[in-house]
Amino acid sequence: MTPHGLDGDGMRRSKRRGWSLRNYMAMFIVVLLAVAASAAVAVRIMTEQDARQSAEVDANFAAHGAASEIAADLALLRQTTSSIAAGVQLANILASPAGPCTLTFAGGDFSAGHIDIITPDGAVKCSSQPILGGQVYGSAAWLPTAIHSAVTVAPFLDPVTREISAVVASPVEGGRGTVAAIVALAPVGPNLEAALGGARQLEFLVSTPDARTVLARSLDPARWVGTTLDGTAFARAEGEVERTGLDGTSRLYGWSAVASSDWVVFAGADKGDALAAADQFANRALAIILAGVGIMLVVVFVVYQRIAEPVRQLSMAMRNPTPGQPAKTVVGAGASEVAALAEDFDGLMTRVGSELADRLASEQKALVSERNYRMLFEGNPQPMWLYDIETLEFLSVNDAAVEQYGYSREEFLAMTVKDIRPQQDVPKFVQLLNEPSPTFDRSGPWRHVYKDGSMVQVLITSHAVKFGDRDARFVLAEDLRESQRLELELHQSQARAESNAELSRTKDELISMVSHEMRTPLASIVGFTELLATRQVTAEQRVEYLRVMLQEGRRLTALINDFLDLRRLEGGDMTMRFAPADMGWLIRRAVDLFTNDDGASIVIRVADELPLVRVDSDAIFRVVANLLSNARKYSPNGGTIVVGAHVLDGMAEVYVQDEGLGIPADALPRLFGRFYRVDAPDRRGIRGTGLGLAISKKIVDAHGGKIGALSDGLGKGARFTFSVPLVREPGDSGDVLVVEDDSGFAHLLEAELTGRGLTSIWAADAETAERLMNDKRARAVVLDLLLPGLQGEAFLERLRAKHGSGIPVVVVTLKDLDAADSLLLQRLGVTAVLRKGPGMAETAATLVAKSLVGELVAS
Amino acid sequence: MRTRTPRVLQVLRTVLIADDEPSMRLLVHATIESDDYAVVEAADGSEAWAMIQRLRPALVLLDVQMPGRTGLEVLRSVRADPSLEATRVILLTSKAQETEIEAGLIAGADFYLTKPFSPLDLLTRVEEALEL
Repeated sequence: MTPHGLDGDGMRRSKRRGWSLRNYMAMFIVVLLAVAASAAVAVRIMTEQDARQSAEVDANFAAHGAASEIAADLALLRQTTSSIAAGVQLANILASPAGPCTLTFAGGDFSAGHIDIITPDGAVKCSSQPILGGQVYGSAAWLPTAIHSAVTVAPFLDPVTREISAVVASPVEGGRGTVAAIVALAPVGPNLEAALGGARQLEFLVSTPDARTVLARSLDPARWVGTTLDGTAFARAEGEVERTGLDGTSRLYGWSAVASSDWVVFAGADKGDALAAADQFANRALAIILAGVGIMLVVVFVVYQRIAEPVRQLSMAMRNPTPGQPAKTVVGAGASEVAALAEDFDGLMTRVGSELADRLASEQKALVSERNYRMLFEGNPQPMWLYDIETLEFLSVNDAAVEQYGYSREEFLAMTVKDIRPQQDVPKFVQLLNEPSPTFDRSGPWRHVYKDGSMVQVLITSHAVKFGDRDARFVLAEDLRESQRLELELHQSQARAESNAELSRTKDELISMVSHEMRTPLASIVGFTELLATRQVTAEQRVEYLRVMLQEGRRLTALINDFLDLRRLEGGDMTMRFAPADMGWLIRRAVDLFTNDDGASIVIRVADELPLVRVDSDAIFRVVANLLSNARKYSPNGGTIVVGAHVLDGMAEVYVQDEGLGIPADALPRLFGRFYRVDAPDRRGIRGTGLGLAISKKIVDAHGGKIGALSDGLGKGARFTFSVPLVREPGDSGDVLVVEDDSGFAHLLEAELTGRGLTSIWAADAETAERLMNDKRARAVVLDLLLPGLQGEAFLERLRAKHGSGIPVVVVTLKDLDAADSLLLQRLGVTAVLRKGPGMAETAATLVAKSLVGELVAS
Repeated sequence: MRTRTPRVLQVLRTVLIADDEPSMRLLVHATIESDDYAVVEAADGSEAWAMIQRLRPALVLLDVQMPGRTGLEVLRSVRADPSLEATRVILLTSKAQETEIEAGLIAGADFYLTKPFSPLDLLTRVEEALEL
């Protein structure tokens, strides 16, 4: 059944993993055949037994039936004879010579025979058939007995018919004769068979009680009736069911005694016939079993062909995988599951193959990159190192770092990255470390100190890496020379150009919106100009027209300014110059803008201990002023505007709250978009550029803060809030305090001071400068006299009053000084007074540096 | 025109100016001021439509960009009302875009002017529309 013999390989695998599917199949087939064979044998035995039993039952039943029929017939004959014998005329018949008389014979199964009235000497006086003369039964052995009593005798050779017969005789009273029914035995057998033989065609055999003589037989009665049974299987009535019949045929016999005569009836069923029927049945069963087995074998074969064989081939293919070459041979025949398995396997092989190839390639790449890394790191002419971002310890340094910084590798590894910075830079550096830094960062310039004490400015390129299991940063320190500075600028302008390109679409959209917004004021100006030029108008009309033209002209100007500012903010061209500032002072300055106007009154609520904020003062001033202006505009019915500031979540939060027209909820999210206006009838007359909040949002965004608006709806007022960062305590300390409202010049000064190894801190107004002086204790001051609030001279007087004359102060100003001013400054101990102009930042820085080392203080 | 004698017996026709910009309303009003017809103003689209229904003006000068109902919406309402068949409409648009103008003409404007426009030009158009 197995189409492929077990090969050596399969055997090995069976040992290793248990039976193969093929073995299971073979075992299944063997078991199947064994079961089928035993079923066939069992069916045969059982059907034979059944057939035998049923034949026996039939035979027994027939024997009893036959016995009772014979008994009934004999009883009938007895009754007939005795009734004739008792007849009144019988004495006359016996006494008179033989003459005609009427007797009717009826014998049932004893179908042939006759009734005679017989005298004691054997002469027949009357008969149911023609009478023979003489003493017909004179020699009959039964006659003397029959004269006196009833007898039943068989066999008896009837002298009249020459048939072997049975005699049933009844005596006539007084011994005068007997009435005898003499019946032929030969027809009895066939008659019984006809009545009771049935489908089995049973053989009937009747014998005398001693079972010596055959009285009747259904088969061949002429030959057998009257013969002896000695030496045959019927010598005894009891005994085996199966007997060999008189004709030599094996039959299954039942027997029964005939009542009132002691005859014995045998009924025999042909054993051969019975078994032949059983055989036929058993053969049919066998055929069914064989057919079932055949079907099972076909099923097994198909299953094997469709599953086991493809699986085996699949397994063979799996054992010799060729990367990149799918085992397509497998997919062909086989159950759909197997085909799917094969396809999956093909896919798997392809993936495994390509993954192997990938891994091989990436391992090679890793080797190469490891080599490249070694070369890049170890052999790089720029100093490089890795440091732990937790402990700040050096983890690895390259040769260039060792060579340039002057520390040996061992010394480096015992140091932290703080140790290569000047002492005064460390707080700023630590502060920067505390802030989340981007994965890749390029910053600078930073100051580094070599082992010999010399200081350099470097650009730091760093990115986060894993060093073993530690979070580290990889650092490349570039000595900042002129060429590199240029390169840096180029890089920055390229980055700007790229972001500009990204913004160009937004800008196009903005320009289209702006040109649309400009047309209305422009239409007024152009239109009224034309009216004035072409028409005669009254004086009042001219004034009115000119007023509108002026108003629209201003609106156009504001629009253009706002538009340009927004463009600068969006393009990143407007650089914020962050400096410490006093938020409360900025708010008061902004509120001052509105004190002369009519309208809602403004209340200032700034927290007392509000720390300094780190902002671009001009920009934030603008935001506050814009929010106040809006609050005023949208409070046409007056009310109170509250502007305040407090610390919230580590930031300074500024709010402007009014009791004006309010803002519907659906408008809140769009409020900070360009040219967005709330469309409600109550504010149709209120005009604006539509850019103020958009600009404010950009400014606050640039500070890392958030701006938002809240309103309970129309007529419920509005609250605008924005947040800006606070000055961080560890940072923003410096050697030199720069008090200068011109952020450009302040920046220049700071750069010059940094170049001389001095850190600086910038305040854009005197109020902030005072607070910084109190908190930070700068060692020197560079001061502008013309400031937004408190003037430079006043600041200086307070400084001297509070901190004494030990702090060198260099004045750089555009103010035209008269003699009194100069005298005042001299009295306040100013180191130098410089007129602001080109190169003055450098001069001022040099003077400050010198004064700090004591050269000028002495003179 | 101011010198012309008012025709007292004739019921004055009405011209409606609809613009949300006060300065524009003033300019247009000053430009077309005449004894031949009455000039009224509306400050937004909804107000304009209400006045059109009430006053049934002979001419409407309609700004396209208005809060509430836009000029185009008002124009469509006018054209959808058979009883306003005789009403002339001139659109004033600050968008010089073809699509805007096209949409206005499709909606049934008699004429359009792009801001900034010449007041004299506007006056000519108004007189043409009123067949003065």
